[in-house]
Amino acid sequence: MTDSSTASLQLEARGIVLSYGDNVVLNELSLAVDTSQLTGLIGPNGAGKSTLFSVLSGFMKARAGEVFYLGRSFGRQPPEQRARQGLMRTFQVPREFRHLTVLENMLAAPWQQPGESLAALLLRRAHVRRVEAENTERAHEWLRFLRLDSVASTAAGQLSGGQKKLLELGRILMLQPRCVLLDEPYAGVNPVLIEQISERIRELHARGIGFVIVEHNLHALSRLVDRMLVMDRGRLLSEGSPEQVLADPLVQAAYMGA
Amino acid sequence: MDLIWSDYANLALNGLAEGLLMALPALAVTLVFGVARFPNAAVGDFVSLGSFGALAAHRASGGSTLAAALGGIGAGAAGTWLGWRLAFRPLLGRKGLAMLLTSIGVGFVLRAAMGLGLGHEIQLFDLPLLKAWRWGPLIMNPLDVLVGAMALVCVALVFALLRFTSVGRTMRAIADDMDLARVVGIDSRAAMARMWVLSGVVCGVAGLALGLKTQVSPEAGADVLLPAFAAAVVGGLGNPLGAVLGAVCLGILQELSTPFVGFTYKIALSYVAMLLVLLWRPQGLFGRVQGVR
Amino acid sequence: MEAYLLAIFITALVYVLLTLGLNFQYGFTGLINFGYVGFFALGAYASAICTARLGWPAWSGFLLGMVVPFFLAWPLGRIALRLRDDYLAIVTLGFSEVVRLVIINEKQLTNGGQGIAGVPKLFEFGGAGLGGDALLAAVLLLACTAVAWLVRCVVKSPYGRLIQAIRDDETALLALGKNPARFKTQVLMLGGAIAGLAGSFYAHYIGYVTPDQFLPIVTFQVWMAMIMGGVGRLRGAVAGAFLLLLVLEGSRAVRDLLPGLPEVAMSSIRLAVIGVALILFIRFRPQGLWGAPRD
Repeated sequence: MTDSSTASLQLEARGIVLSYGDNVVLNELSLAVDTSQLTGLIGPNGAGKSTLFSVLSGFMKARAGEVFYLGRSFGRQPPEQRARQGLMRTFQVPREFRHLTVLENMLAAPWQQPGESLAALLLRRAHVRRVEAENTERAHEWLRFLRLDSVASTAAGQLSGGQKKLLELGRILMLQPRCVLLDEPYAGVNPVLIEQISERIRELHARGIGFVIVEHNLHALSRLVDRMLVMDRGRLLSEGSPEQVLADPLVQAAYMGA
Repeated sequence: MDLIWSDYANLALNGLAEGLLMALPALAVTLVFGVARFPNAAVGDFVSLGSFGALAAHRASGGSTLAAALGGIGAGAAGTWLGWRLAFRPLLGRKGLAMLLTSIGVGFVLRAAMGLGLGHEIQLFDLPLLKAWRWGPLIMNPLDVLVGAMALVCVALVFALLRFTSVGRTMRAIADDMDLARVVGIDSRAAMARMWVLSGVVCGVAGLALGLKTQVSPEAGADVLLPAFAAAVVGGLGNPLGAVLGAVCLGILQELSTPFVGFTYKIALSYVAMLLVLLWRPQGLFGRVQGVR
Repeated sequence: MEAYLLAIFITALVYVLLTLGLNFQYGFTGLINFGYVGFFALGAYASAICTARLGWPAWSGFLLGMVVPFFLAWPLGRIALRLRDDYLAIVTLGFSEVVRLVIINEKQLTNGGQGIAGVPKLFEFGGAGLGGDALLAAVLLLACTAVAWLVRCVVKSPYGRLIQAIRDDETALLALGKNPARFKTQVLMLGGAIAGLAGSFYAHYIGYVTPDQFLPIVTFQVWMAMIMGGVGRLRGAVAGAFLLLLVLEGSRAVRDLLPGLPEVAMSSIRLAVIGVALILFIRFRPQGLWGAPRD
């Protein structure tokens, strides 16, 4: 699954402005991500990080500014079209399909499934079965990779928080993503699992998938990423290597003041 | 059929009267939506309850409109308060659909109780017969003027309450952001109870207005539910000003369309107008967009 | 006595069809349809108009009774796509009331508020005529089984997985590059056709149709059946429908206990019973009589 052309995939935000009522959440925010480097996005609460993810992925519309991906502006493309181009995201509070099993969650992801067409269900049953078998095979592979295979038949709603986040990632992996926006992958996860998740992310990155990771756990994040972006009050405050950024007095002040 | 400008003006005046009448239940719907986050399907039946209360007070007091208003307000407020305590408060924290279905059930029970207890016959307010006022070619029914004035006063008082009193500010804070309000220490349950009672008061006045203009019966209020919903939706659920403006606009639109669409389909027009608004702005004209954070 | 039991059985089967269709829309796809009776009405009136007014054979009524709601659900679906739950509930409720309004007003076609009488029985046997009804019940039972089997096949397929994903979290689906729009519309159309089929059977059984048979209370009776039997449970459709009949017949018994009540009080009692049942079930047993507690 290596795709070396994603080596310097660019994801860029230029001049994003977004308000919620009287509150300016994103204040002419501009930043650029070179996904050949694992990138982290940090900042105090209310800095607008998750909102930025929503704008990048198309779930929220900014009042001004543009999002560039692979050198082209997304314009007003809705989220599902952006996902089809390989930009995917997870959510701060995991959004698993809670009444479906873990395996069914994975199988719900692949595009162009003949089984999702009523006509094909009726007329091309063998084809439907074949594609389903292929997808199931792939799903099990990924579940093994994510150490979720033991819970494949469990209803997704009954998983722990950390497992749900892994499942969200698993669904995305079924789709051969190019750039994944991970929203707080470590939140509510026990320390042992955190290290495992970091391992998985490193492996996936080596296979050519770009990551931008929002996290509050600065310790774990700085050991994972090559580069950090810091947001504060809707703007980019600082960027650089984890060591540089964490030593930056501006960054420290922002966290103190929060 | 050739119509001249004054015909349209008269239709518009009728529409204004209809719209003002509809503004009250629409306001009641949107007030509850603001704090409880669901459209209250029992509003129509609370309006019926209010009209029965108003009628009883009117007869008992020998024809006093003020007494009727108090009677309607009392019945409406008592009804919604009881509904809140018995049916809706226990459901706090449940999904909106649970509240919505419960409100359907509450409406049914209320309507059935009124039907069984007070009879299905249509009752009318005993009013002196008044001649229509004429200003040149413009015709105005004094009853419409009374009802319209009542509605305007009620709306103005509600807005004043929301904007200028601390009680109102609290209610608005909760409507804007319940989690934030709780963090800041606002007791949401007390404020929600007050909003329900306020909604009941509005239903009571609406009941009096409806009863004066049309009739009093267990079904009369339920018939205004959909137009009230349409107005509240057009204005954006949760926005009081939107509900009132929506009702007035729909009322005028409905009446102006009568020469083209026919008398019986004009109700469908509100529905179609609502659909068109929703197609263009799914959150209503003044509603807030719900983003994914 | 047999006639009474047969009547209950047939009515219950009509509600089984309705509950299957609504469950497909809400239980499996999460579409809040408060106007389901509108599709039921379209099917019933299609059959009545075709047979009683135009003299066409019964199968034409059945066909139109499914096709008309099927296609009318399409614009409803397109409009409803971007709407939040609350708005969808209101829009669908309005839809069924507008259908009723059109029925009342298009007197040329529907005979307005007086309704259409003389809808022929599907099967005529000599004698007491009970044989014809029994055969209707058998055919209806066949239809229920077929529809239940079809719905089950769809629900267990990748399509069924997708619509359940739509129910569980549409936003997550969008993030995975899939747009639920097409599927929600299809489910509305299919569910509408099922209600239309139920309507055709109903029209032929009762023998006449009037707008008053298609008030919103019917929609919420179906919701009750769905809730009691278990939302999202196909077997629940059968159980729920029969339970509903039990509740409705029970309310008739209430009226018999109070002999002084006029006929019109019957509708109030029915209203009260459904209302109380809704309130109590939502509060204490939203998962139905058999389900495990869900969200």
